[in-house]
Parts: sequence; structure tokens; C-alpha cells
Amino acid sequence: MLDRIESTRKNFDEDLSKVTDLVSLEELRIKYLSRKGLITQIVDSLKDVAKEDKPKAGKAVNELKNHTNSCFDELKQKFESESKGKEEFVDLTLPGVEKTLGSKHIITQTLDEIKNIFKGLGFSVYEGPELESDYNNFTALNFADDHPARDMQDTFFVTDNFLLRTHTSPVQIRLMSSKQPPLRAIMPGKVYRNEAVSAKSYCLFHQVEGLYVDTDVTFAELKGTLVAFVKQFFGQDVKYRFRPSFFPFTEPSAEMDIWWEPKGKEGRWMEILGCGMVDPNVLKNVGIDPEKYVGYAFGMGIERTAMRKYGIDDIRILFDNDKRFLTQF
Amino acid sequence: MKISLNWLKDYIDLSGISSDEIVEKITYAGLEVEEVVDQKKIFENIVVGFVKERKKHPNADKLSLCVITDGTRDYNVVCGASNVDAGQKIAFAKIGAVIPNGGFMIEKTKIRGEISEGMICSEKELGISDNHDGILVLDSFLTEGTNLSAALGLDDVTMEINITPNRADALSHIGVARDLSAIFNRPLIYPILDLKESGKKSDELAEVEIKDFEKCPRYIGKVVSNVEVKDSPEWLKKRLKSIGLRPINNVVDVTNYVLYEVGQPLHAFDLDNLAGKKIIVRRADEGEKFVTLDSKERKMKSSDLMICDFDRTVAIAGVMGGKNSEVTTSTKNILIESAYFNHSSVRKTAKHLSLSTDASYRFERGTDYNITLWAAKRAAQLIQETTYGEIAVGEIDAYPIQITPSKVEVRFARITRVLGYEIPKEIVQSILTNLGFVLLEKSEDKLIVQVPSFRSDVEREIDLIEEVARIYGYNNIPEINKISITLEEKVDQYEFTDKLRNAFTSLGFYEIVTNSMLSESVAAKFGNPIAVINPQNSEMSHIRTSLLPGLLTTVSHNLKVSEKDLMLFEIGKVFNKKIEKISSFNDFEETESLIAAITGNSVRTKWYASDKQFDVYELKGIVVALINKIIPGAVVKFEECTDANSNYSNCLKIIINNEDLGIIGKVIPEVVEAFDVNQPVYVLELNLDKLKWIKSLQKAFNELLKFPKVYRDCAFVLDSDIESARVAEVIKESSTKLLHNVILFDIFQSESLGKDKKSLAFQLEYFDLSRTLTEEEVEKDFRAAIKAVEIKFGAQLRGS
Repeated sequence: MLDRIESTRKNFDEDLSKVTDLVSLEELRIKYLSRKGLITQIVDSLKDVAKEDKPKAGKAVNELKNHTNSCFDELKQKFESESKGKEEFVDLTLPGVEKTLGSKHIITQTLDEIKNIFKGLGFSVYEGPELESDYNNFTALNFADDHPARDMQDTFFVTDNFLLRTHTSPVQIRLMSSKQPPLRAIMPGKVYRNEAVSAKSYCLFHQVEGLYVDTDVTFAELKGTLVAFVKQFFGQDVKYRFRPSFFPFTEPSAEMDIWWEPKGKEGRWMEILGCGMVDPNVLKNVGIDPEKYVGYAFGMGIERTAMRKYGIDDIRILFDNDKRFLTQF
Repeated sequence: MKISLNWLKDYIDLSGISSDEIVEKITYAGLEVEEVVDQKKIFENIVVGFVKERKKHPNADKLSLCVITDGTRDYNVVCGASNVDAGQKIAFAKIGAVIPNGGFMIEKTKIRGEISEGMICSEKELGISDNHDGILVLDSFLTEGTNLSAALGLDDVTMEINITPNRADALSHIGVARDLSAIFNRPLIYPILDLKESGKKSDELAEVEIKDFEKCPRYIGKVVSNVEVKDSPEWLKKRLKSIGLRPINNVVDVTNYVLYEVGQPLHAFDLDNLAGKKIIVRRADEGEKFVTLDSKERKMKSSDLMICDFDRTVAIAGVMGGKNSEVTTSTKNILIESAYFNHSSVRKTAKHLSLSTDASYRFERGTDYNITLWAAKRAAQLIQETTYGEIAVGEIDAYPIQITPSKVEVRFARITRVLGYEIPKEIVQSILTNLGFVLLEKSEDKLIVQVPSFRSDVEREIDLIEEVARIYGYNNIPEINKISITLEEKVDQYEFTDKLRNAFTSLGFYEIVTNSMLSESVAAKFGNPIAVINPQNSEMSHIRTSLLPGLLTTVSHNLKVSEKDLMLFEIGKVFNKKIEKISSFNDFEETESLIAAITGNSVRTKWYASDKQFDVYELKGIVVALINKIIPGAVVKFEECTDANSNYSNCLKIIINNEDLGIIGKVIPEVVEAFDVNQPVYVLELNLDKLKWIKSLQKAFNELLKFPKVYRDCAFVLDSDIESARVAEVIKESSTKLLHNVILFDIFQSESLGKDKKSLAFQLEYFDLSRTLTEEEVEKDFRAAIKAVEIKFGAQLRGS
């Protein structure tokens, strides 16, 4: 055993003297120091040594290991520090390793932006079902049964009493029926309109509904809140106006327009949202006393807002999900 | 609705107010002007021209070469109309003119080799009428060079106003003028009625009987005899044309005129065609057939209200008259109908007939029960003026139950409370009275007004507040610049899906939003779909039962545009019915679902990497990473899915905290092929409604490891059908708690290993949180693990 150790040491020293660079040093390591190398083999064969010879042999093996390891480390350090002087050529013009971060759909991105602004103004965020009852979608919102106001929103019916919601306003009804004021929330979601698909309209789109009910809510506050929103969303110098409109569930009702001047085109007023003071009939329908509480509500289409912001003129492209489109945002 | 500014001026003095200001102010009062057409502007560069010369075009038979003068110089013009001739005065569009109908600009061109410096216009091109038979030949006394609008007396401004459904009162020129009267505080002037009645009394010539008072509270009949039905006078034709109506004859034109003047729909019957000279207002017989003026046969319901004579039906009340009693050129005596019909009754009839007319449009919004009398008289007067007929004395006024006008109270304090701004009391009062509300009572804190008969939409205090606010001007109510935030609990029900979206995009996925409407066959393939009873088309007749069809449609679209490597996800609702007939929310399921798909290559060959296709393992990894991030502490397991009806092969169920919450797999060929997709698509589906409620562990800091980890590698040769997870399981079971991780780092299959053999190489990770491990204890553990694998699977340790 001791002879074997001794000869291995001799061979190692001899091989070591022939090592000239990192490559030949690695060959040396594999031969002696790797898991199946000569020294490991010696260590493994220790178990066959007679018991009385073990201490001696063990000690010799350890010395051998220490010797080879330190020689190896020394040379390695030497070669490495040498090679630092003459650096390898690195082609830094090679393109980087390609990485992809995906993105949310432009509708979601726009909604996120809207949500963040309103969350900052103390609004909660609620959702509601898309398949709604006629009661929540129309009747509770003060749409009289046989009033032409019902024609304002072309509806997909599932039965006489169930439909694909035409607006997010039924979430108002759900919220007010389940919670007492103060209520300050926005309610985003998908809505459906039975309209032929064209560049201007799609059979579904997304809305954000807003609602605030408390004892001291006013039209002036509604205006202030929405002005704060459009300034933050479209820029501080946005030009805006309010004009009277009609929604069965608000009174007074208004629409808000912003002045829109696409590059190279004539400017014009564009409607961006509908709003108003919650109609007392709606409050009554959900069991809130309209003498004690006043509310405001507003709603806007997300697609239209996004299209305006990014200069998209055909709504259908939003639902094609063409990768060349998706990767732009 | 089209409104003519010249016409408006009959009812209100608008002098000193520009049309721009009118457009703006009226929009700010709630009558939104969507389009303005100023005739003076549309005929810019279009003048009266004189044709000095006309000869044939040398290269085209149907064209002629004309020399036109505008009084200052001559122009060479190529003209295609056959009626052009020398000596005519014509409408000449000079270079730079924009043709009103068509919107194109006139430029200097060459037509078949000949220069053309303008265009001679037809009536249609000028937007005056539909006449395109030839060019418009003007009166010869007109002076060359005069602008066409001046020459034709077309100096009107028309506005297209969007009247909201609550504002039936504004569906006429007087209605719009009334708002202007309140806005500009100038009086509204009704035309003066000055009827020359003679001969018999109306009720001697005809009779009216109402059988359904509810549906017809009031019916006025007025007789005009010995009329001469012919073309209307120019002023009347011009008025009607200015708002886009086609003149028919003097009687019909007058009824239309009064409709657009004051909003009362009228109908003129040929009195001699009314059997028994009697009008009976009654309900239809169920299934009754009736031919309307447009020559279409209509099938009636017993709830429809009809106008009948002694023998037969002559009109559908409030909707359309009948062919059988129409006024024609041979008509001598007429009965003018001016009625007040119940709005909901007319709406129901118009709806089931799918027939919307100018009359039904107004009746269903609610007309003025008092204007009926004025309108009948006004029509009679105008018919007399245009037809030289004789107006019978008085009228038949069937009005059995007088309608009482309603009273509404408005508190000044409430106006301030709702608006957040105090409008002076006298302004409140003047706005309301200018709008036609009659002041009944006035005190320090409130007003009580009588609602005029034309404002059926005003019933409550809030309605009056709106009236005051809109006329005062929303933009004159200052917005506050400070809000208070109430401190109730804030909720964000989108938080969970937001987290998912963020996680997916950071993994490189793009979010998609697809159509929720599918064809029946597609929707039925993936669930039990709910049908829409009034779909746009059969491609969108059912609501989606799964997000898979939308996703595959998207993949298909992208493959067509050569986008082959895709990582997509969608979050959305899917709908399935539980029973055939839906009558409550319990009869169907609306589930929030997530779908993600990868298809094509994860890597395209680059200098640093070679092609790699997406596979199901990629998704497996994503699920683990995702759940670890979104629901910390949740335990994710996969189980083979054996559902024979699955749309997926190589399919695994995702088990989270022992609940079955989703699936990953490769979409089977017959499904992808149905969407024209010819490459493998790997899909992940998650039920978010369930996932949302899985509780995550409160995140807590774990002490960082202070002692070294020890690694041991081993590779086994074993039968190729032994699953790697089972081997790893055995390694874990046979080890002590020092083993923390088993990592499969290589799979190798080769003939050299033996038939149906493979090699699995594992790295085992050992450590202890509280101490450094000794070589010996690791070695012992490692050996035990190897032994267990060898015994359990008949495996052979490689390299031994």
C-alpha cells in the first residue's frame, strides 16, 4: 500500500512537471483528483488494508492528498493570473440573449390606468356577472317597461328575463342592495350590445362604472372628480365640457366630452363618458332613502378610451389578438 | 332630427345670435347638435354660369365641350349630360369647389384629352334632390357669377340634433325654439291661428266614437271640404326639403309640416272613402289583416288600437294609415285626425310590427294632449291656404275624460343640495316659466309649478332640478377641487386576477381578449351552451362554454400571418347551463376561467442556442412557479387525466391542496384541425372561481442556510417505462430528513444500455439547518437510496 502511495506521488510529480497550461492541468486533475481518479481509487482501497496498517496508510494517503491538492491549486492560480494579462477576444457586438416580457391586453392596460386613478381617489373595485337579470339590468335602473329608453341599448336576450348585460350599471344595483352607504366604488367589466360588428362597434366591449352614494354627494363633486380623472388620464391641459344627456338611472344626466385633435386632422369634441346624479327611483329600488342620501354615477367605455389614446380606428383589431398588435403595447 | 334655422326663426327672434352660438348653447342645454350644414358654406365656389358655346367632344360621343363664363372669364368644361346647351344658365362648380353630394374637390383635369376647368352640376350632385337626369338648368334672369346659395335662395343652416328619448317635447321646431327661448330669455311666438270657417259644422259632416279611452284619451277630427289636391307651393316644398323630407301633395305636406312644426302627428283621411263618415277607435281583432300606406299587409293583435270607419279598418292608430282611405289627387273632402294615443300602446304595436314611423316615434315618447286642438286648426288653415278648400265650422273633439295637469314642487335647498351650487331663486323661476311651467305657488323655500301638457317626462322634483341645471348650464356650475374620502373598508375584487395577469406577462405571455359569442356547434363541443334568442348571426348564437375556442381562433389567426411562436393567455367568464330552461341564477353557471397556451418554438436557432419546441413540461413548470408565487404555501400536484372525452392528450389534472382546479395538456389533433391549426398547442386551464378561495399561507421569513449543502450524483439504468417521479419518490422514502431535494438532471436512452432501457441521472441535495454534515452520514444516506432504487426497480447504478 505504502509503495503504491509512493509511486503515485512520484508519477504525479512527474506529470506535474509536464503541465504547461490550464488544459493540461485539467487533464492532470482528471487523472488523479477526479471521482474516479488514481487518488480516489487509493482512498477507496483503504478499506482492504489490514487493521493494524490502517493508521499508517491513512496518514500517508492524507499526506498524498494534501500534496497533490496544494500543487494543483498553486499551478491553477499561476496559470489563471497569467492568462489575465492576455484577455480572450470577446465580440461584444453579438446580439444579446433574447428575452420576452409579455404584456397585458391594451384593454386591461387602459383599465389598470383608470383603476389606479380612481383607487387613489378612494374608490373600491367591484365586479358582477355578465349574464344578468332583466330586473338588475333595466327595471331596477329605472328603465320603464315600455319606454323607448330601452331601445338605447340593443340587447342580447337569453330568455325573457335574462340577458347579457348591456352595461356595468347592474353592478351598482348589486352593490347598493348588499351594502349601506357610504359607497364609493368603480365596477369594471365586459358588456354586450346587439350591434352589427363593424370598425366602430363590436358585439361586446368593456366599461367602467363609478358610483358614490353618501349624505353629501353633489353634482359639483361629480364634475370635480371626473375633471381630476380626465386631467390625469389625458393630460393636465385637456379641454373638456359637460352637456346634458339622458340615462334612465341618473338625473340630472350629463355626458362629458373632451376636445380631440388627432395629428393632421381637424379637432372636434368627443364624448368620453356618461354621468349624473343617481335617480331617486334607483335609490328607492335598492332600499336607500333618497331624501337622506344622494349619489352620483358615471360610466365609460374602455375600448373607446384606449382607441382614442393610442389612435386606433378599428375596434375589431382589439379582438383579433394579432401578435404584431399585441407586442406593440 | 333635422332642424332648419330659418324655420326656427318663425317662432323666436334670433337676431344678433350667430348660428355657431345657437349650436353651442343648444348642445349645452341637452339638445346635442351632431352635424351642422350651412348652405352658404357648402356652395362655396359654386356659381351661376352661362354656357356660351357647346360642341361635341372630339374623342367621346357622349361628352360635350362647353365654354362657360362666370361673368369675369371663360372656362373650358367637359360635360357628360345630354341636356346641356348653349344659352343656358347652369350651376358651375369652379376649381376648388367641393361637390356637396360626394365630397370630392374639383380640380383642373384632362378628360379624354381635353382640358376641363370645372363641372356643371346636377341637382343630385348639389344635394338639392335625388334628380340626376341631367344638369340643373337655372332661371335665365340670374346673373353669372352669383353664388349658387344666393341664386337659389338656399341660405339656411340645418342642424342634425340628437334628441334623447325623454325629450319628446323637443321633436319639433317649436319644441326646439322653446328651449332657445329659455336659453336666450326671448319669447316663444306661436303662429297666429286665423281660420276662415264656413258651411256646415265638422260634427255634421263626420262622427267620432272612441271605444278604448285608455289607449286613446283624445281624438279630434276636423273637416275640410272641396280641396284641390296638387303640388304644394314652393315655400312649403322648400321647408320640407330643408329637413330632408320629400314633398308629396299639398294635403300630406301640410300634415307633415305641422308634425315638424309642433310635434303633433296628423293623419288626413279621404272623407268620402270613410264608410258612414264615421271614425271608430277600437282594438283590432286578433289576427286581423290590414294593408298600410306602404302597400304591406300587416297582421294585427287584439291589443293593437285601430282607426276604423263604419265597415272596416282605415289606419293603425298612431303608426300608419291605410291604403284604402289615402288622400289622392281625386280627393275632394278630407278629415284631419289629430289624436292623443297612449304611448305604451303605440310602442307595443310599432314594436311587434317592426314598423317605426314619424308618428309612432313621437307617440311612443309621449305627445302633448293639449296641442291636438291647435294642430288640427293649424293644419286646416294651411290646407285651406294651399288647396283653397272650405274649413267646416268647429271640430269633433272626442275627449271623454279630461287629463289633469300634474303639479310638482321644487325646494330651493334641494336644488343646492343636489347640484352643490346655489342658483338664484329668480333664475330658477324664470327658467321654469320660460320652459312652459306655470307658476302656481311661490314661497321663500320652494316653488310649485304646473307641468305643461307637452312635458310628460317631468313628474318629480328631481326632474325640475334637471331642467334648471341644464338651462343654467352644466358648465356654469363650478366643479369643486377638493373631495373627502370616507374611510370604510376598501375592496378590490380584481386583485387576484391582476396578480395572475402580472405573473403571466412576466413569464412572457401576451394577454388576449376574444369574442364570448360562438356558433352553436362550437359552443356545444365544449359544454352545455346558453343560446341567445336574438343573435346577430349563427356564428354568434351561443355564449362561450370554454375559453379554448377563442384561444384556438387566435392561434389560427396568428398562424395565417406567420406568427408561429405564441405564448397567450386569457381570463374571462364561461357559461354553462345546468337545466334546459333558465329561470333563475341557479339554472346556469358563470365561471371565471383562465386559459394559457404555448405553441411553436420556445427558442428559434440563435448563435447561443438551437431550436427548441414548446412542450407540456414547459406548462408544468409554469403551473408550479405560478402557484408558488400567487398562493404561497399551496401544494401543487399533478395527476394523470384519464377522461376519454378530454380535448387534450398527454393530459394532467392540476391538484392544488387536494382540489382539482385545472388541467394541462396537448390539444388533440381533431380539435386543433377544426380551427385550421396545424401545429401542437399546449394548454393550461384553471378554474379561477375556485382557485381564488384557496388560502395562501401568511408569508414568513425562513432563516437562511448557514451550513454547506452536500451534493451526490447517481445514474441508474432501468426499464424505459419506469416513471421518473416514482424513482425520485423511492429515493426520498429511503433517505433520512437530511435529503432535501432530488433533481433529475439527465435522461439518456441508447442501444448501448440494452433494449428498452434508459438511464436516469439524479442529483441529491443534503443539508441540515443546524450543522455541517459529515462525509460519512451523507455517504450512508446516499448508499441507502441507491440500494432502494436497485431493489425496487431492478435498476443498475451506472459506473459501478
